[in-house]
Amino acid sequence: MRALDRLFEESCRSLASRTSRRSLLGMLGQALTGAALLPLLPVDRGSRAQAADAKPRKLGPEDCDYWKYCAIDGFLCSCCGGTSTSCPPGTGSSPITWVGTCHNPGDGRDYIVSYNDCCGKTSCGTCDCNRNEREKPIYRPSRNNDLNWCMANANANYHCTVSVIVGVAEK
Amino acid sequence: MQSFTRWAAALGLALWSGAPYAAPPPPLPADHLTQEALPARGPHWVYVVDYAFDNEIDTRVHLYDGDSHRRLGQIDTGFLPGFALAPDGRMSAVATTYFARGGHGVRTDVVEFTDTATLATASEIVLPPKRLQAVPTLFNVAYGSDGRFLYVSYVTPAASFGVLDPVKGAVLAEIDTAGCVLVIPSGPNRVSSLCESGRLLTVTLDAQGHEAARSMSAPFFDADRDPVFVQGVRTARGFAFLSFLGEVHEVDLSGAEPVFAPPWPLLGPAEHAWRPGGSQVGAIHLTLGRLYVPMHRGGEGTHKDGGSEIWVYDLAAHKRVARWALKAAGLKAVVAVEVSQDAAPVLFAATDAAELAIIDAATGHIRHVEKHLGQTPWQLLTP
Repeated sequence: MRALDRLFEESCRSLASRTSRRSLLGMLGQALTGAALLPLLPVDRGSRAQAADAKPRKLGPEDCDYWKYCAIDGFLCSCCGGTSTSCPPGTGSSPITWVGTCHNPGDGRDYIVSYNDCCGKTSCGTCDCNRNEREKPIYRPSRNNDLNWCMANANANYHCTVSVIVGVAEK
Repeated sequence: MQSFTRWAAALGLALWSGAPYAAPPPPLPADHLTQEALPARGPHWVYVVDYAFDNEIDTRVHLYDGDSHRRLGQIDTGFLPGFALAPDGRMSAVATTYFARGGHGVRTDVVEFTDTATLATASEIVLPPKRLQAVPTLFNVAYGSDGRFLYVSYVTPAASFGVLDPVKGAVLAEIDTAGCVLVIPSGPNRVSSLCESGRLLTVTLDAQGHEAARSMSAPFFDADRDPVFVQGVRTARGFAFLSFLGEVHEVDLSGAEPVFAPPWPLLGPAEHAWRPGGSQVGAIHLTLGRLYVPMHRGGEGTHKDGGSEIWVYDLAAHKRVARWALKAAGLKAVVAVEVSQDAAPVLFAATDAAELAIIDAATGHIRHVEKHLGQTPWQLLTP
């Protein structure tokens, strides 16, 4: 009977090793094991040390932390086919907006920024950016980003938001 | 292939040697397609308003049972909706917008009424294209206390509100609110609105829904120094408004003129790093007199950040009675809270990861976390 058990076990192992799901798992397991071992291989870590000393990457218009976005709550048009100052193709800009006052670390100045919504298509759904510095509730609409500022457009659907410098904020 | 042959031979040997033979089970009977009826209302039902921020033309309200942990049904709510329950609980009202071609086309603003016993759409009232399109509050659309009038906020951005008769299916009037926003109901025929000056405008209506009188209160908050959230929390005699810096402003709306209680602080002397925040920043159990607030550590601009803790207060004593560290228990940031009003209440907490936590409102024990309840559940209402 032990011979029969061994025969059965060997057959099962052989069959299992040739089934596709197990094979895939086996390959994944090998890959993961290999990946886990990679950091243990002898490599020159000098370049990593240099990277740590380097200045942090400069923020750009597709980063939510970009200075102009200090009072935004919406999708960044720069991720949706537009730029930080232009609406994506096929949409229309809202003539009414809210404004924020944002500090530009590049020149040390505070700027008034107009946040115009781009309208006429449904939500872009990419680069949701929710920052609310000095943002106020809707009883102060000129500083509120909870309203759909496409409300007065012929097509009132909200797509994304741009950030347009209006001027330097007076102290 | 050789080993498979050996395996089959072994199996045949086993069968031949007397192993029991199981007859195949009988086939399944044919199904009967049926229509599920909504069960009788449970004590821990909650309407979860999902603003579906990634595709805002397709928002919806999920009806969820906090006891069975099941989704019971859905109400479609269009684009940036307001949602309200009738005082008798038999109807819900959704003030919303549809575009004729899905994401574009002719705009129709409308209030849709849904029978809460069946979740079937019952009727509608078409609005002028002026409806407030904004994040949820209790005051985007609201019923008067006897259900005769329904009020709808308008912002074009000029502010006004519509007075509707749900029975007649008609818009009765539009009331200009001179820059003050939202419809805060009190009694059968009064509507208050929040003003930038920190005052409340209160309009009293006549039997036809037209303006009979109006008054402006003294300021009760400072929008520059410490604005109040517009997401008011219902109290026994009106609403409580929390401020960005953690003051509680209770407004008694039971009389002809609003009465403002002296504000009291959520924070102790050494707790100024903490703030309330989210999209529904408080819930009150009326008979127990408990206030629940999602709190986070943060500064300027964090008023929409969800809470890492729930702080619980005795409303009458103005004292905190508990701190529940929900983030430490594995929950994401809590952006909306609501509490059932029964004697064994549960606190519902929606997170910024679309979780809905079912929490014992007496102890803070998390009974269940429902994952992926919609996309961006920003408001909760208990029937």
